[in-house]
Amino acid sequence: MLTHEPSLPRRLAMTIRRNFGFVPCSMMLLAAALPCLAAAAGRNAAQGAPPAAMAASTEKKPLSTRVVAYNITAKLDPQKHTIDASETLTYRNLTGQPQQTFPFHLYLNAFQPQSTFMTEVRLYGTRGTSSDTDWDNKHYGSETVTRFEVEGMGDLTDKMQFIQPDDHNTNDYTVFQVTLPKPVAPGASVTFRMEFKDVMPEVVERTGYKRDFFMVGQWFPKVGVWWKNQWNCHQFHATTEFFADFGTFDVNLIVPQNEVVGAGGDLIGTANNSDGTKTFTFHSEDVHDFSWTASPDYTDVEDSWTGSAGEVKIHVLLSPGNMASAPRYVKTLKGTLSLYDQWIGPYPYDRITVVDPPHGGIAAGGMEYPTLITAGTAWFMPKGLRIPEVVVEHEFGHQYWYGMVATNEFEEAWLDEGINSYLEVKMMAAMYGPQTSMLNFPFAQEGDLESQRTSYLSDPDYDPLTRFAWQFVGNNSYGGVTYGKTATVLLTLDNLLGEEKMREVMHEYFLRYRFTHPTGEDFLKTIEDVSGQNLRWYFDQAVYGTNILDYEIDKADSDRVNWWEPEKSAKTSDKHQLYRTYVRVHRKGDFIMPVDVKVTFDDGSSAVEHWDGRDRWIRYTYEKNAQLVSAEVDPARKILLDRNLFNNSYTVDEDKRAIHKLRNIWTFASEWLSQLLAWFT
Amino acid sequence: MDSRSKPFGSGARLVWRRQRALWWVFLFNLALALIGTRTLVQDASGVLNHSLESSRRLVHGFDVSVFTELGALPEDPFRATNAPFFWTPILFTIFMLFMTGGILTTYYDDLKLDTASFFESCGRHFWRFLRLLIYFGIAMIPIGILASICGKVYNHIDDLSVSPYTAPASGVAAILVLLLLLLSVRFWFDIAQVIAIADYEKRMHKALRLSAKLVWRDFGSLFWLYLRISVVAWLVFAFGLYVWMMWLKPESTRLAFVVSQLLILWWLGTRLWQRASGIEWYKDHQELQAVAEARAPIPPPAPVEEEEEVVVGA
Repeated sequence: MLTHEPSLPRRLAMTIRRNFGFVPCSMMLLAAALPCLAAAAGRNAAQGAPPAAMAASTEKKPLSTRVVAYNITAKLDPQKHTIDASETLTYRNLTGQPQQTFPFHLYLNAFQPQSTFMTEVRLYGTRGTSSDTDWDNKHYGSETVTRFEVEGMGDLTDKMQFIQPDDHNTNDYTVFQVTLPKPVAPGASVTFRMEFKDVMPEVVERTGYKRDFFMVGQWFPKVGVWWKNQWNCHQFHATTEFFADFGTFDVNLIVPQNEVVGAGGDLIGTANNSDGTKTFTFHSEDVHDFSWTASPDYTDVEDSWTGSAGEVKIHVLLSPGNMASAPRYVKTLKGTLSLYDQWIGPYPYDRITVVDPPHGGIAAGGMEYPTLITAGTAWFMPKGLRIPEVVVEHEFGHQYWYGMVATNEFEEAWLDEGINSYLEVKMMAAMYGPQTSMLNFPFAQEGDLESQRTSYLSDPDYDPLTRFAWQFVGNNSYGGVTYGKTATVLLTLDNLLGEEKMREVMHEYFLRYRFTHPTGEDFLKTIEDVSGQNLRWYFDQAVYGTNILDYEIDKADSDRVNWWEPEKSAKTSDKHQLYRTYVRVHRKGDFIMPVDVKVTFDDGSSAVEHWDGRDRWIRYTYEKNAQLVSAEVDPARKILLDRNLFNNSYTVDEDKRAIHKLRNIWTFASEWLSQLLAWFT
Repeated sequence: MDSRSKPFGSGARLVWRRQRALWWVFLFNLALALIGTRTLVQDASGVLNHSLESSRRLVHGFDVSVFTELGALPEDPFRATNAPFFWTPILFTIFMLFMTGGILTTYYDDLKLDTASFFESCGRHFWRFLRLLIYFGIAMIPIGILASICGKVYNHIDDLSVSPYTAPASGVAAILVLLLLLLSVRFWFDIAQVIAIADYEKRMHKALRLSAKLVWRDFGSLFWLYLRISVVAWLVFAFGLYVWMMWLKPESTRLAFVVSQLLILWWLGTRLWQRASGIEWYKDHQELQAVAEARAPIPPPAPVEEEEEVVVGA
C-alpha cells in the first residue's frame, strides 16, 4: 500500500460520527443465486468440486506450501452494495500439532464506529483520513457469517465467538474463532463451509464502492496463520495490513452482465445466466489472498510482457477520463517487471491486473493484492508529476514483498513496505532518473530518494522499524518510519556495501524466502551472510533503535601561523605564508557511524580523513601554505540517514544563490498575497 | 459610442502619467514583503549559505524536498517567518486603504499633488473608505453563501457523475460566475469611491446608492471595461509566470527577481488601471450629464410687462 503519494489530490473519503451505533446486518443468504450459479458453472460450487481446467492446472508442481484451499461463490448486488456468498475452506494442518480452535478475520467489520480500527482512526488518523473527520453512514461496512459448518462435525454457527487478541475492545468484530468438537490431527485437513454476507462501504481504506465501481478486497472470512507456534490473527487496525497462508482460490463471481470484472486470478470461464447476471470463474494458486473489481465503465487495456518465467498478460482497467494515463501505467509496469526480473528474481505468475479507480474512489487506490494492484491518477495528471508511475511501481513491487515473500504486515510492516520502498527508489531512479523520479518540471524537481528520506524526518525518533504496526505513536510515525526510514536505512546500506552487493542480498533474500513467512531477523541475517560482514552495530541502531544520526562540521577556519605579525596586503601577500587550519566535526545525534571527512584547500589540494565517529567530536589540524575552502562530512553522500545534510559541509565563502532563490519566491508570495487582500479596499 | 470606449485607453494613459503613485505603492509592497521574509532569509541563510548541499539541490535546479527537509530541522527556519509573513499583507491592505483617497484625487484631478495635498486627501477619505470596506464585507456575504452552495453542488455532482469532467466543468463555470459577480461588486464600490472624491460626498451609503444607480444604468460598458483589463492582466501575468518558471535558467536568481517584481508591478498597475478607467468613465458620465442638461428644453420665459418706449430725440 502506498500512503504518501506527494501532491496527489486525494479526496477525503471517510468520515466518522461518534453517535453511530453498531447495527448487525441482516442475515440474508444467496440461496436463490446458487442454483443459477450451479447451472452456469456446470457444477455445484458449494460442494467445492474443482472444474476440469483447474484440476489440470493444480497438477503443476506447487510453488508454495499450500495450507488453504478456498472455494467461494459470490453474488454482487450493485444497487444494495452487498455481496452474498458461500465459502468452502479446506485447511491442511501443517502445524505439527493437533488443532481444535481456529481464528478467522472479518476485516469489513472494521468499518463500524466502535471498532478498534475506527477508534484508532479517531486517535491519530490513517491514510487519507484525518482524526477529526466525522462518521458518515455511507462508510459503514460489515461481514456477517450466517452459517458455519465443519465437514463431519455439523453446524457450529453457535460456536462462533468474537475475540479481540490485541486490545480487548469487545465492540470490535474483526476476528472470530471457533472451537471444534474434536481436534484436527497433524497432517490432516479440515473443511469449513460458511455462508456470509458483505455490506460494502463507500470506498474507504482500500475497499468498497463508488457509484458503480466496486473494489472488493479483504471481503471473505479468512483463517489466521499458525506462526511462531501460535495463531496469528490480529484485529484490523488503522495502520495494519494483512497476513495469510498460501493456497489456492477458486472463485465464482456473479455480477450483472454489463459489468467488466477484473480479479487476482486466471479467468477460467464465463457464462451468462438467465436472470441477467453473468458468472466469472477464476482460479489462482500459490497466493494468499483474492480480490476483485467490477465496473461497467472500465476500459480494459491489454498488453503483455515476457520475462524469464514466461509471458505475463497485463490488464489495465481504466476508469473514465483516465485514458491518458494508460501508456504511463503500462510503461512503468513493464519497466518494473523487467527490473525485478533482472535484479531480484522471476515473476512466476502469468498475469497482472492494474485497477485504476474512478474519480472520488481514490481511497481504493495504491493497494496491492496478489496479481492485482490498484493504482491512482486523475484526468488532469501532468506528465512531470509521476504519481501514476510511482504508485504502479510500488504496488507491483509488493508482488514480491508481501505477495511471494509473505512477511507479517501486522507485526513487521517494514519488511514489505520498507523493502519495497527501497527498491521503488532504485527502480524509479533507473527508469526516470535519480533527481527527477518523483517530480520533473523545469522549475521544480524531486527524486524518490529525497521524498523517502524526508518522509521520516518529521517524527524520526518515536518508533523503531520493528514495532508492531498498530503500536506506533501515530499514523505519521508509522508511515515515515515504515516506508521512509526503512528505505533510507537500506539506501545507506546500499552505499556502504555497494549497489551490486546489495542487489545480491535482495536476490538471495527473495530466493531463500519466496512463498514463506520470513521474519526481520531472516532478512538481516541474509544481508550479513551475503555481505560477509557483521552489521549488528548498524542494525541495532538503525533497525531496532530510534537513534538520530547527525554529523556536522561544527567549526572550520584557517589562521596564519604567525598570527601575531601584521598581515601583508593582498598585493604583497606571500605565497609561502603558512596557515593553520582547524576543522571540528561534531556528532550531534546518538547514532554512531564511521564517517569520512574531506577538507579542501585553496591551492586545489584536499585531505580525506576517516573518523570512527564514536566520540562526540574530533578536530583535524593542518599546517599548509594554503587556506581552507571547504570541509565536508561524508563527501560521497553515502550516509543518507543523516538527519541534516546541510550541516555536513562548510564553505568559507558564502554562496547566496540558494537563499536568493528562496527569497525571490517568498517575497513574490508575500507581495501577491498583499495585493489579493488589498483588492477588497 | 466614442466616449464610452475611451476609458480603457485613457485610464492606462492616466496611470502612466501619474505613475509616481504606482511606484510608491509598489516599493511599499516590496519593502513590506522584504520585512516579512527577513526572518526566513536570516534563518535559512544560516543553514544554506555555507553548505555545499544547498548549491547541489537549489542552485542548479530546485529540489522541492528541500522545503520539507528545512521544515523538519530542529531550527526550522520557516516557523519563525510565519507571523510576519502573514501580518505584512494586512499592513499593506491598511496602507492601500489609506492611500486610495490620495491616488484617486490625483487621478481625478490629473495633477501632480504636492505631498501635503496628497496626504490631506488620503486622510480625508480614510474613514469614509473604511466604512465602504465594511459595506463591501456585507456585500460579500451573499456571494460567500453562493460560493458555499456552489461548493456543495460541485461535491454532489462529483459524487454522482461517472465522468470526471462534469464536476470540474461545472466548477469552472461556477468560479467564472463568482468572479464576474465579484468584479461587478468591485466596480460598483470603485465608482462609489470616485463619487466620494469627485462630488465630495461624505455619506458613503449615499455614494453607494448613487453608484448603484449609475452602474445599473450603464452596467454593460463598465463591466466590459473592467473585464477587458482583468483579462489583459491575467494573460500577461500568466505569460510572465511561464517565462519565470520555464524559460529562466535555474541559476539566474537576479533575473528571476526582476521578472517576479515586474509581475507584481504589472499586477498592481492593472488594478490602478481599473481605478483610473473608472474615473475616466465617471468623467464621461459627468460630461454626458452636462451635455444632456445643456440640451434640455428651456422653459419659455415668463411674460413680462412691456416697458415704456423712450423715444430719444423725438
